[in-house]
Parts: sequence; structure tokens; C-alpha cells
Amino acid sequence: MTSAWWVVFRKELRETLRDRRTLFVMIAVPVLLYPVLLIGAEQLFLFGARNLEGETSPVAVVGDPPTTLLDLVDASETLVLTAVPGDLVEAIRSDVVTAVAVVGVANDPDGTREVTLLFDAASDRSQRGRAQLSSVVGAWRDTVLVRRLRDRGLPATFALPVALADSSIARPADMGGYTLGRILPLLLVMMTVLGAFYPAIDLAAGEKERGTLETLLTAPVPAGAIVAGKFATVALIGVIAAGLNLGSMLLTFQTGALQVTQAIGLDVSMPLAAVALIFLTLVPLAVLFGAVFLGLAVRSGSFKEAQNALTPVYILALFPAMLPIFPGIDFSPLLAATPVAGVAFFFRDLMSGDASWGLGGLVLASTTVYAGLALVFAARAFGSERVLFGGDETADVPSERWTSRWFKRAASDRVPSREAALAFVAAIAVLFFFGGIRLQIAYGETGLLAAEWLLLFVPALLFVGVGRYDPRGTLSLRAPRTGHLLAGLLLIAGALPMIWLIGWLQSFVLPIPYELLEGLEELVTAQSWGRFFWLILILAVTPAFCEEIVFRGVLLGGTRTLDPWRIIALNGLVFGAFHLSFETVIRFLPTALLGALIAWAVWRTGSIWVGMLMHFLNNATIVVLTSLPAMREFLSDPEAPPPLWLVPVGALVLGLGMVLLDRSATFEVEQTAHAVRGP
Amino acid sequence: MPTRHFPLVFMINFSALSKRYGPLEAVRELTFQVEPGEVYALLGPNGAGKTTALRCLATLLKPSSGSAYVCGVDVSVDPLGARRRIAFLSSSMGLYQRLSAKELVTYFGRLHGLKGVVLSRRVDEMVELFAIGDFSGRLCGKLSTGQRQRVSLARALVHDPPVLILDEPTLGLDVLSGRTIHDFIVQERGRGKTILLSTHQMEEVDLLADRVGIMRRGELVAEGSPTELVQRLGAPNLARAFLALMSDWALVPGTGQA
Repeated sequence: MTSAWWVVFRKELRETLRDRRTLFVMIAVPVLLYPVLLIGAEQLFLFGARNLEGETSPVAVVGDPPTTLLDLVDASETLVLTAVPGDLVEAIRSDVVTAVAVVGVANDPDGTREVTLLFDAASDRSQRGRAQLSSVVGAWRDTVLVRRLRDRGLPATFALPVALADSSIARPADMGGYTLGRILPLLLVMMTVLGAFYPAIDLAAGEKERGTLETLLTAPVPAGAIVAGKFATVALIGVIAAGLNLGSMLLTFQTGALQVTQAIGLDVSMPLAAVALIFLTLVPLAVLFGAVFLGLAVRSGSFKEAQNALTPVYILALFPAMLPIFPGIDFSPLLAATPVAGVAFFFRDLMSGDASWGLGGLVLASTTVYAGLALVFAARAFGSERVLFGGDETADVPSERWTSRWFKRAASDRVPSREAALAFVAAIAVLFFFGGIRLQIAYGETGLLAAEWLLLFVPALLFVGVGRYDPRGTLSLRAPRTGHLLAGLLLIAGALPMIWLIGWLQSFVLPIPYELLEGLEELVTAQSWGRFFWLILILAVTPAFCEEIVFRGVLLGGTRTLDPWRIIALNGLVFGAFHLSFETVIRFLPTALLGALIAWAVWRTGSIWVGMLMHFLNNATIVVLTSLPAMREFLSDPEAPPPLWLVPVGALVLGLGMVLLDRSATFEVEQTAHAVRGP
Repeated sequence: MPTRHFPLVFMINFSALSKRYGPLEAVRELTFQVEPGEVYALLGPNGAGKTTALRCLATLLKPSSGSAYVCGVDVSVDPLGARRRIAFLSSSMGLYQRLSAKELVTYFGRLHGLKGVVLSRRVDEMVELFAIGDFSGRLCGKLSTGQRQRVSLARALVHDPPVLILDEPTLGLDVLSGRTIHDFIVQERGRGKTILLSTHQMEEVDLLADRVGIMRRGELVAEGSPTELVQRLGAPNLARAFLALMSDWALVPGTGQA
């Protein structure tokens, strides 16, 4: 019996191949537009260059120029000596002249002069005029030098003790591969991904919008077969687009159509085996994006909404593909396992002829794994009636798209939606990353203080105010009981040695950078009481308020409808990621665990004050420990493990804290949940 | 997966079916049955829960509680089995724009497991039955509304199901197109099909339905033949009876008392 997925696949392929938009992107762009664009761009460039070559440059020579120089300029075929009566800068800006040589008076008996070339670096013509004038001035300098040497009875080579010359050993094919390796990976990735773009939208969101998905789902076909048929179509179109792009680009480069490659002696031919390998690697890439796009498109309600959802992913995918363009980045296992980047680097090395098979295998394997995960993501959407028809038992409003749900909830509900809270934290992270770093660079520790209050605390309050959310429910402003605070104290006291232990264990895998240790020690070590209180203010009090209101306030408030473990894990991960940078990767795990612990305490108690206390205690403890002379000695080796006795004691205290919080907070959890959901 | 069967007295059987969307209960404890060869109309204003009920029966939505059976097959337990026994048709028609009329009917025949000579014979029958021969090779996106409607009916019936589920089939259609649907329903009833349709048009119900179920806010508030309902509610016609049931000063169902 013919498999259902095959029936779906054949129909989808037939329909897709009748779609002009898909055909245009898949066939017309690579087959026609590529050669036309590349050759056209080259012709335009050559035309412009020829135009410039045939042109003479009006230049001026002012100041105290000797006759020899003026004669040389006059004799030059490319320069026209022009008089400039007024402002020199204005004369260059208004294209009266392209460059001006300002010649100083002779300041020694030999007649040595200073010459300044004025030109406009933002103008091609002016740059060309400067180069030509510079060459004439250079010739004049050489003439003077030769004359001086001759006057003193010295040979002309006297002032040139070393003659330096470059000689590249690269063969034309090496240079061709090097050049292709920088241009083609990005174009190939871009066009392959684009090939899957429209079919995915059409087969998922388009089908929903036209009402045909409902009809299809009443046929006796399992959802998996429908996904498989659609996915196979999208992936196949992506692969065909990839193949056509690859073929068209190689033909454009290799048939000698491009004059530039011939003129500069580049050999851009590529071995057949390398072409086959590139195509083989494009297959999992097409599969990966086919599945990602299909999964996203089916979650959208309309063609337009799907375009909005897919475009950022498409743009994001291009960034890693751009990396091979930049010099100095070596292909490493980490890059090989990075989606898209691995493919692009592997292409670069294949084209350059020095590909590593091990890394290539890793690229293929990792891309295949990502493609599999993306396929699961797509398949899950087709199994969910909420995704397909806009409602299930957990959805609040049926048949509404997520965008309208977001805005509707933001306008009337008591707490922000999950989407709103996550979008806010993402925006805050971007703001803090760019604004916060600038403030710290400009104002040092005061800048850090300002960044926390102005870029975290104030936006969180504005978010709650402008969104008309209930501050008490959103920010968990319930007053804590003594038992909660005591539990928070025990939790942090017990967690500190545990986090120390985890950090120490982690250092075997991720060594702590020495520069970071030095920087941290300098930052957190107080030498006077004034400095101590200042450090407590900026490193303990401020983060306790500003970071808690964002993470255990808005983020936790917006995600309360999730399963408890998801709330806590998500909170910890986002908190850890917020503290992440290239230099501080080692902080991720400890910070994420701390964030998750505080999130659990706030979730159980409904009180952000418990979180603030825990955050303050954690940070203040570090400042106190590093400031005490006795402790400083004890902690002098940061890579040392915690004392053995401290680990079981810490675990015991942590356990006590958890039990205490668990017992004292049960009632409050119900109350909070009730308050959040409404009566 | 084991198939749970209900005694085949009724072709369609809703048994205390509820469907919730978060706090909103779109369908509440819906219970009614449709006998073989019967045309049953679900009547109700927008938002009454008619479409949700039909979508549950067509296996597009999963009931929150309760059950629905088609030809004795529990739609939650054996959705594919249920789909083999139904044709689902809504006002959106659900045609693929870039397939020809014949390709579309063939595609759905294949999805229902037909193949070879059986498939081509059945497609030819549908082409003849709905008179789509003149435009069977034309893409659906280029057909007129009337032509599209006929293709849509052929698509729904290609696997010859015993039960037809029609969700507001005449919504947005002109009089002539609406008439085509009415003729189709009468014709299929004559061929012994069981038909469940949702509508908010009284004339349609008067004209076609053997029995009517009136829904309000997710609940079935009255049920019977159009004549029975009018008599029971003491109203001059079905439209007045319906309005009475929809208003807050409604007559008490089943008694004719206010």
C-alpha cells in the first residue's frame, strides 16, 4: 500500500512546483540572476574603474614649491595643475581640485621641506588624485635625493641598503580557492536557507490560512505522515535550490565569464570531490532549516505572520555564515559543532583545499542532530490542536493568535503573559549589554551602580506601570514571614559551600582565567571601611533590588502558569545567561543554580523580599570574606576545593532551609496561585 | 490501539461531551444521538458551541471530557477509524488552489486508501455526479464559487462515507449556491446517509432537518423535530421559538411555560 506520507509528499511537491514564487527563488534566482548579477556587478566595477582611469585629476600645489616639483606635476599626464585662489578645503569639497600639496619653505641649507597632501578620504576621485600627486611628489623626492648623493660623490644605491620584495608562493588555484572560500559559503548558506523559506510558509501557515489544513486533518492520515510529507517537500526544495545555486555559481566562476579572475590570474576551478562534499553538507543544512521553518510557520496563523516569524531566524542564520569572511578565525571543533558556522567554515576549507576530515565529519554529524531536533519541533506542532486550531485546555482564548493574545493580556490581565515577560527580559538584556557596558567604561563603579538602577530597576517598574499589571501579583510583593526569611538565610548559608564545590569541580573542565581573578579581587576587596560600605552598596544591596525585580519579579510573575520545575529552571537559566560574557563563561553554572534556588524560594513564598535577602546575603558574604585579612589568606588560592568539613555542613544547612521553607510556605503558595489566577 | 465500539443503534452519539478552552467551557455536557438516514441540525447563535461540537466529532479537537461516537467508533480512541466514516465540509471549502479539480478529488481518494482502478472509477463517478467534467482539468484557484463548491462536495464524498458533517455549509453563499447545497443534502439523505449540520438559518432547518438541537452557551437547551419544538414552546414558528430560547425571559424548555 502506498504510504500516506508519500501521497502527501507527491501532492505537496506538485503544488509547490506550480508556485511561481518558489520557482523564482529556487530556479530563476540561481540560474539567471546569479550570473547576471555577478557579471553585471563586475562590468559596473570595471566600467567605473575605466572611467576613473581615463580621467585626469585637477590638483593644486601651494606654499613654497620649487620649480622642479611644478615641472614634474605639469609633465604628468594624469594631473592638471589648477590654481586655487580661496579656501583649500572648500576647493577639494566642491571638486575644484581633487588634492592639494602644501609645500613648506626650505628649513635647512640642503633645502629640506615638509609637504602635506590635503585630500578627501570619503571621495574616490580625491583619493585617486592624492595617490597620483603623492607619486609625483615621491618622484621629486627621489630626484632631490639622487642629486644630493651625486653632489657628495656617493652612488644612488647608497640610501637604499636593503631592497625588499614580496613573492607569494601561492599558485593560481590556491588563490582561487582562498577567494572562493571567502565569498561562496555565505552565498550558498543564504540561498539554501532561502530555498526552504517560502515552501515552509506556504505548506504550513498558508494551508492554515486557506482553510485546507482542516480538510486534510479529517482524512484518515496520522499527523506524523502529514508532517513527513510536508517536511520532505520543503527539505527537497531546499536541497534542489542548494544544488542549483552551487552549480550556477561554480559555472559563473569557472566558465571564464568573470574577467576579473582571468585578469588577476585566479584559478577558480574546484575538484569534483570538493563540489560533491559541499553538496552533501548542504543536504542536512536544507533539512535543518526546512524543519525549523516548518515548525515556526505552522505555529503562525497566517502567511504574513509566518513571514514575520521566519525572517528574524533567517537573518540570524546568516551571522554565523559570515564568520569565514573575517580573517584570523581558525576552524575548530567548537565552530564545527555550531549550527551554520560549521557548515560555512567547512565550505571555506574545502574550497581552499585544506579541509579537515575530522571536522567535516563533526559538521555533518552535528548538523544532522540539529536537523533531527528541529524535525521533532516541527512534528510536535502538527500534533497540537492549540497550534493547529488556536486552542487547547491550557489556552485562555480559543482561535486567537499569539500576538493578539499577548496584547490583549497585556492590556487587561493582572500579570504579564509569558511572552510579554520573556520579551521584556530579552529587551532589558540587550539594553544592559550595550548601555550598561558603556556606563561602566565611562564612569567605572558609579557607572555600574547607575546601570543597575537605570537599566534594570526603573524599566521593570515602568513595564509594570505602563502595562497596567498588578504590582503585587507580578512582582510577588507579599510580605514575608519570619520563617521565610530564616529559611532564605539557611538556604544561602548552605548553598554557598555547595556552589564553591561546584565551581571547583567545574574548574577541571573550564579553568578560571587569571585576569578575571585579578580583576574580581581588585573589585571586591575593601581596604577601608568607606570602601567596604561602598562595595556592599554596589555589589550586594543594588543587585538584590535591581536584579531581583527583573528576574524573580517580572520573569517569575509572567511564567507562573508553567509547571513549577519549568519556572525554576527557566529562571535559573535566564539569570545565568544574563551574567554571561566571553570572559565569564565559568560563572554561568553557579549563577544559574543560585538563580534557580532563589526562584524556588520566591515561588514557594510568593515574596520577592525573600529573594532579595538571599541575593544580598550571597553577594555580601563574598565581599565580607574577601575583605577580611584572615579570610583573604584562607581564600588566596581560588582554585582550592572548599574544606572537606564544610561540604556536609553546607548540605545539611541547605536541606534544613529547604524543609523549613517547604513547611512554612505551603499556605502562601495556594494564596499566591489564587491571587494570580483570580477568584 | 484497541477500538471501543458503541452499540450501532445511532450513527452519531454525543455522550456528555465537554470541551474547555482554559476557563471557557465552549461545550458543556452535550448529549444527543442521530439515527441512520436522519438529518440533524444544530441550531444556535454565534459562539453557542456548534462548530466546537462538530470539530470534536470530526476528530479535529479532543474532548475535555465525555465521548462522541461515529458509527459506534469512539472518536477519541480511534480517530482514524472515525475519519474513515465521515465527510467533513465547512463553508471554507478547503480546496488546494494549485491542484486541478480532478487531481484534488484523486488526492483525497488516495488519502482515504483508494487506489488503482477502484480509485479512478470512484473519481469518475464523482466527476459525473457533481458535473465537474467540463472543468476537471482546471486549477481550483481559477474556478467560480459554484464550481468550487461542487468540487468540494466531490472531495468530501469520494470515499463514500456513511456520515456527513456539515459546518455552516451555506455561510456566505448566494441563493443559487445555497440551493446546490440544499439539493445535495436532500439527495444524500435519499441515498441513506446520516447528516449532522450546524446552522443559524431557520429556513434551512425547516426545509431539511428531521430533528433539531438548539444550543446556547455550550449547552443543548432543546431538542426535537421542528414541529415538536414549535408546539412544545408554544411559539408561532421555529424562529420565534428559537428567539424565546435565546432570551433571558425564555420559556421553560419542555413546558411551554414562561
